[in-house]
Amino acid sequence: MKIKVIIGEENLNQEIPEGCTVQDLLKKMEIPSETVVVKKNEFIIIEEELIQEGDTIEIIKVIYGG
Amino acid sequence: MNSCTKCGNTHIIIKRKHSGQSLCKECFLESINEKVLKNTRKYNLIEKGDKVLMALSGGKDSVVALNILNSLKERNIINLTALTIDEGIKGYREEGIKIAIENARKLGVEHKIVSFKEYLGISLDDMMAKNDQVRHACTYCGVFRRWILNRVAQEEEATKIATGHNLDDETQSILMNYLEGNINNLVRIGPKTEAPDRRFTIKIKPLREIPEKEVGLYAVAADLKVHLASCPYAGASFRWEIGSFIKELSINHPTIMYSTLRGFEKIKTALKKEVTIKGNLGVCKRCGEPAADDLCKACTFLKDWDVK
Repeated sequence: MKIKVIIGEENLNQEIPEGCTVQDLLKKMEIPSETVVVKKNEFIIIEEELIQEGDTIEIIKVIYGG
Repeated sequence: MNSCTKCGNTHIIIKRKHSGQSLCKECFLESINEKVLKNTRKYNLIEKGDKVLMALSGGKDSVVALNILNSLKERNIINLTALTIDEGIKGYREEGIKIAIENARKLGVEHKIVSFKEYLGISLDDMMAKNDQVRHACTYCGVFRRWILNRVAQEEEATKIATGHNLDDETQSILMNYLEGNINNLVRIGPKTEAPDRRFTIKIKPLREIPEKEVGLYAVAADLKVHLASCPYAGASFRWEIGSFIKELSINHPTIMYSTLRGFEKIKTALKKEVTIKGNLGVCKRCGEPAADDLCKACTFLKDWDVK
């Protein structure tokens, strides 16, 4: 299924399998979940939330290394 | 079905692995406000009438701390001023300053902006451009920022300096100092500095028991404008290595940061008896600030650039 992913200034179209959670998406995109806050359709959600066709997922990086 | 442990709302924004608590946005924000204010009382970080100087970079930690401390200002418990230090990092610091100004203005908090150039005679970019030293930019930046913070606190007659240090920062400091065998610095770690000299303004860390991820979540949930970017000088420092190690451990051991902090607090009392903390500091011959030797750390570094 198709979803939209926003990371910073980037807008990406992603293809993910049915039953995919936020945690699965972060793993697929190689983003450490402990460094981000995720919104689904503008609402903050937890990692185990299911993603559905047409959802807009915003990944906000809140922890920077260094 | 996931629901908020406190109010039953089914839209939760966090599942705390360390406590098993699930919270909705409102209860999460309230829990952080309560915890910070409870710790402020528990460790006696603030007394009525204090003039608090909040070190405000515009990053998530300092913006969240400013917002929570502002509730004490609104209740007329403290007098609050924000201080932003412009290190002179082109392409990075400008945005942080802009965001710091917006936050202070929104809350009606008095805001002072000072620069390395103004106080030290040279910006961090110029230091690093002329630098043939082996030290990392963060080492200079940390020493100079602390020097300026204390200088401004004295000028403003502030009774406390508040910083945005969070639980991750604190556990990193504990492990770093322990692993490096720096026991003198280790015993100084705490929610409130015990200044060895009255010319050092006491520093407090209101967010010390809040994990970094939760500070970030608070900023997003409360819709605060924060500077989310990486400093161009940030690199693979020892702190970064330790931080990554603890974050990795926390995934399977979610209470590890709290247990590191609690364990340290238990041994700190005994350690302090064994380690002598230098008292009665002298005066730096160059700048007049308190110093253990002829020159304070900042002036020892500044000699390298032959300024001021």
